Amino acid sequence: MNSGYDVIIGLEVHVELKTQSKLFCSCSASFGAEPNTHTCPVCLGMPGVLPVLNEEAVAYAVKAALALRCTVHPFSKFDRKQYFYPDLPKAYQISQYDQPLAEYGAVPIIVDGHVVKEVTVRRIHMEEDAGKLNHLGIRLGDAKGSLVDLNRAGVPLIEIVSEPDMRSADEARLYLTELRNVLSYLDISDLRMEEGSMRCDANVSLRPHDYVGSLEDLPRVEIKNVNSIRNVQRGIEYEVARQAELLARGERIVKETRGFDDQNGRTYSQRSKEEANDYRYFPEPDLPPLVLTQEAIERVARSLPPAPTVLREELQQAGVTAKEAEIIVGDRALWEYWREATTHYEDKRQVTNWILSDLSRLLNAHGDTWLTPRVTPAALADLLRLIANGTLSGRMAKEVLDRMYESGATAAQTVEAMGVSQITDHGAIQAVVQQVVADNPHVVQDYLNGKEKALGFLVGQVMKQTKGQAKPDMVNAILKGVIADYAKT
Amino acid sequence: MRAYDMTATEISQRVHRKEMSATECVREVADRITALEPLVGAFLHLDVQGALNQARAIDALSDDERQQMPLAGVPVAVKDNMTTMDMPTTAASKILEGFMAPYNATVVNRLKAAGAIIVGKTNMDEFAMGSSTEHSAYQLTHNPWDLSRVPGGSSGGSAAAVAARMVPIALGSDTGGSIRQPASYCGVTGLKPSYGRVSRYGLIAYASSLDQIGPLARSVDDVALLYDIIAGYDPLDATSIRAETARVSEGPVDWKGLRVGVPKEYLSADLGGVVAQRLQDVITQLEAQGASVLEVSLPHTAYAIATYYLIAPAEASSNLSRFDGVRYGYRASGADLLEMYENTRAQGFGPEVKRRILLGTHALSAGYYDAYYLKAQKVRTLIRQDFEQAFALVDVILTPTTPDVAFRFGEKSSDPLQMYLSDVYTVTANLAGIPAISTPAGLADGLPVGIQWLGPVMGEDRLLQVARGFEELWPSSTWPGLGGEA
Amino acid sequence: MALSEIQVKHVARLARLRVESDEIAQITQDLDRVLEYVAQLSQLDTDTVEPTMHVMGLAMPLRADEVKPSLPVDAALKNAPDPRDHMFGVPRIMDGGDA
Repeated sequence: MNSGYDVIIGLEVHVELKTQSKLFCSCSASFGAEPNTHTCPVCLGMPGVLPVLNEEAVAYAVKAALALRCTVHPFSKFDRKQYFYPDLPKAYQISQYDQPLAEYGAVPIIVDGHVVKEVTVRRIHMEEDAGKLNHLGIRLGDAKGSLVDLNRAGVPLIEIVSEPDMRSADEARLYLTELRNVLSYLDISDLRMEEGSMRCDANVSLRPHDYVGSLEDLPRVEIKNVNSIRNVQRGIEYEVARQAELLARGERIVKETRGFDDQNGRTYSQRSKEEANDYRYFPEPDLPPLVLTQEAIERVARSLPPAPTVLREELQQAGVTAKEAEIIVGDRALWEYWREATTHYEDKRQVTNWILSDLSRLLNAHGDTWLTPRVTPAALADLLRLIANGTLSGRMAKEVLDRMYESGATAAQTVEAMGVSQITDHGAIQAVVQQVVADNPHVVQDYLNGKEKALGFLVGQVMKQTKGQAKPDMVNAILKGVIADYAKT
Repeated sequence: MRAYDMTATEISQRVHRKEMSATECVREVADRITALEPLVGAFLHLDVQGALNQARAIDALSDDERQQMPLAGVPVAVKDNMTTMDMPTTAASKILEGFMAPYNATVVNRLKAAGAIIVGKTNMDEFAMGSSTEHSAYQLTHNPWDLSRVPGGSSGGSAAAVAARMVPIALGSDTGGSIRQPASYCGVTGLKPSYGRVSRYGLIAYASSLDQIGPLARSVDDVALLYDIIAGYDPLDATSIRAETARVSEGPVDWKGLRVGVPKEYLSADLGGVVAQRLQDVITQLEAQGASVLEVSLPHTAYAIATYYLIAPAEASSNLSRFDGVRYGYRASGADLLEMYENTRAQGFGPEVKRRILLGTHALSAGYYDAYYLKAQKVRTLIRQDFEQAFALVDVILTPTTPDVAFRFGEKSSDPLQMYLSDVYTVTANLAGIPAISTPAGLADGLPVGIQWLGPVMGEDRLLQVARGFEELWPSSTWPGLGGEA
Repeated sequence: MALSEIQVKHVARLARLRVESDEIAQITQDLDRVLEYVAQLSQLDTDTVEPTMHVMGLAMPLRADEVKPSLPVDAALKNAPDPRDHMFGVPRIMDGGDA
């Protein structure tokens, strides 16, 4: 802990819901279309049009809320948040202000597979996304102005607001990681920070140890719209250092909004306005309150997949270590791979080893993810069966896996193509061993004189002559037997 | 009989029976509009050619298809705050000059499906803010009964067009009396339905929680006919009511069983002599028919104007924020975005609209929300409860529509507050969400006097029945002579 | 609760309405009169009264999550004062801010 002050961090995370249509109109909510081709009178904010709420967006938001262990309110309402900006067609955003969809959930902070802390989720509310501005010239404020694309305007969002419970940039990273992890199992969002389908604003303040006021009154700096979890961490680290330096110099910290420059790892002032924003929230008269029956909420609750915490426990009961379980469950695609592979092959320990070592190495080397593994779980299981029945040694299997990864062929095809398969015939191995012993009497003598290393040399010779295909434990046993016989002669 | 003298009911009957073609009807009506429009100024946009084309299309249909259309061949005027794809929609504001909506208001689609022929868009107070149609950015509309007087507002163009027999029926919108007050000033019948009865989709919002579209006509039957067409659930409007619209009863009203409430608070000293006298005459008539006329109390009436003039401007300030010069409408120049915004809105909006935007922005701003907007919404609850209690005792409530008859141009526009206060009898129906109808009750010194009937929420059926009964008791026998005609 | 010209300027800025210096006095006076009039609401005790946010007491209707055709891009931009590259052109944004 830093001396003299505590770091106080709260995060606001926006998650775009991957519904087919937008929150309040039937335009496509999909990403990446030509500018303004996903627009209609409603999302263009034309006069006289009215919003109608998307049922699926509500279902997704309730899912997220329940998965984050929030209380979903049977009665919530929508409000208008008002400000002028060209990406906001109506000059108000339909959001939820004082009666949000859900409140008071929790996200665990997990270190080495263990929950070390829980961060409170203060609220989750639904709102519509804004459009996108393309700035002509190099940056905002250039004389040519900006161009507005409203395809994204009206795409459903949930905003997940944490309590200021985090005390370090690392905790913020772990919170975001687990939050994204939990949501990833729900199929409600792409959760791609680089595409903006998950966005994070971080509120950072320092609380001197002798401070007696409320957290709300601390001068808070908001770091806006950072595009990766890593950069949220970097931004906070920089901000903590910056504010600490100001405090050390006896200077005042100004409440402001700052951007993050990922080139130099610094935050920079975006605006520190003399007048605070006045959003003039008021209840959206065009939308009656959202009423959810207890039954409807419970129906969603029953449809939820098991939480990552539960999945991690299940893995540990299956003999996976806490650390391994954290890695596997931490990537939903990897977890699904593991789950499928273990249905094809019983030895979960073995599956885990191969997935986390060799297959992970190959994925990394090829820049692939678990969403698109080039070796299917079934193919991996087949490979593991070849080891079990003695067709392949572990070392051979690694080579086979490498080839399988390149070619996409099955284990059997690859083994055949490579011409490899383990020699398990006792007589064949014994013949080679006898030849090696005969050719190396001095080495054998060394071994008999107590030089254990000499045996290794002899094994190596056998493996060399069998092109590595002799079954190693058989080579060892036969070699010892042949030397024993040799010593007697 | 000329087509323009007919009611919508008569026109559609004749078109159904092929006694008159839709084209003939539209041609006669168009000739009359062309002749009178220079005097009245009811329309911001006329589309005679388009109307004739629509009429020919109606005539080209099979008899069966036409029979299915309750408004086959009926010319109708639509207030210019309802969007139409084939005509501009400006809400009488400079900021929407030339705006062509790429969508029809739901009511417009319903009219077209019913065989109605939209001849044009009517003048109004800019964004429906006003009670005289003098706040139009484009033109004045003259009261057909006395061209030196206002037609009322904000649906002044629609009321004037109906009174001048330019069209048999028209659509208006009513946020605080904007259908009923001009109906009263122009001697026609105008209904504001229960909130949510008629879809607001495509109605350019003034105050979303108060706005309702409704019909204006020269007879209660025509009002009912048009109401039946436009009322009903619309999936595009989340505040529209799913309930079936009760078909308006044909039967005569039974005056003897009717309990008519007259709120004592409405008979205040503000009430002009002729209107107070006429209301007394009406009460006498009703009693003579055997109706029981009872005094009721609506104790929060005195707060209605204050409540209305907080809620409506607050919502308006929000609804009108979208007019920012970015996606459509007028744009002023500006060195940067902020300047463009401020210039566009300063030049695009008229003074009354700006006044209400500023008032509403203030009422919602930090530190004032609780004292103004929230407080007003609470008082709104009290006003609503007043009506609930009153309707436990009576079937309908009878009031004046306006404190006075149509005034002269410029007479009231200099004092905004004075103008607001004249909405005293009409705003309560909007605040309570209840239906209300203004019916003519004869003339006084050549100018129409209107009375208002209020019913409980969803009580349009009974209200229209009573209004029809009253129309029989007190028929409007003459219409204004214009352009030298009798 | 008299309104000051400074407050009116602040509100005008929030509403993005340019108010000329020669208008401000009249506007302030007009608004002040209305505010003085509406102040009568404070006479009513509404501590236990629920606000009427929705007069009909309906619950939110929901729409099925189905995509319907959007406007053709030309129709979307047809009324735009400054259409450029199928987008809405706006002047340069100086303060980056929204309020």
